Amino acid sequence: MEGFGEKITEVMTSKKIDFHLFGYTIPISDAVITMWIIMGALIILSLLFTRKLKTIPKGKQNVVETIIEFINKLTESSVGHHWRIFAPYIGTVLLFLVFANTISIFNIVPSGEQLYNLTHIKMLKKIPDFNLLPPTKNASVAMGFAVMSMVAVMISGIRVNRCKGWLKSFLKPVPVLLPFKILDYFIRPLSLCFRQYGNVLGAVIIMELLYSSLPAFLPGLVSIYFDIFDGILQAYVFVFLTSLYIAEAIE
Amino acid sequence: MGNVAFAASLALLACVTAGIGISYATAKAVEAVARQPEASSKIQTVMLLGAALAEATAIYGFVIALLMILVK
Repeated sequence: MEGFGEKITEVMTSKKIDFHLFGYTIPISDAVITMWIIMGALIILSLLFTRKLKTIPKGKQNVVETIIEFINKLTESSVGHHWRIFAPYIGTVLLFLVFANTISIFNIVPSGEQLYNLTHIKMLKKIPDFNLLPPTKNASVAMGFAVMSMVAVMISGIRVNRCKGWLKSFLKPVPVLLPFKILDYFIRPLSLCFRQYGNVLGAVIIMELLYSSLPAFLPGLVSIYFDIFDGILQAYVFVFLTSLYIAEAIE
Repeated sequence: MGNVAFAASLALLACVTAGIGISYATAKAVEAVARQPEASSKIQTVMLLGAALAEATAIYGFVIALLMILVK
């Protein structure tokens, strides 16, 4: 039982990896590097999947069209008339969060020591340890997403209703509710952030404890729920709530 | 540690409310599917969303308990 507390602390803290560039040492946290990997994968996949599009879909184009149609339907059903402006943002956040929350199933990166034992190349021993854990287990990453979607809500309100209409919406339906309407802009990102962060961190901690205490069969089964199902569900809930807030702002 | 552990256990009482909420939502969904089996796919998505929202209270309690124990 002694090691469990340390294990949880180890999972919760974010590691810094030093990059040596032009004589400077730049510490970059592992969440940022994982997000770079996801960004690269998304860019390459979208470039590969959208080449040579035809009127009659065939093969991989069917996959892309299904995804885009799902995103468009999701946005249209919640936002309504103005869905065309918001579908790209909603889709980007959904795809990124789905990749980010489920990336721990690819967590098979060997450490530098193991690579050295395999190949006996001195260079490889210097590679720092790197775990491919979901970046949203870092509270600041989740907060970044929450603030981003709140900014999107504000911009959409201003863009659709113009500045005057947006300011007037604070006084509807009765002016007494003004302080609560302002508080909304601080509480909503907090709740979005904690929902994402807590769910992903809880799943990561449970999976980490299972890996350390019972390393056969069971982690694989449980990982289907905690890594894949829960991650995709939380990404969907985040995006759905964002689109609900947008729909409320552009009424 | 004693006070902190007691406070963390109190914070985890939030999980009870989440359990009650999710079970209530699921019970209603089962009733709805029994009454109208053809609408089951729509009911399922709505129920999952409601369960995820109700789960948030448990998550808040969990995060607060973790922060209380680990952050010094």
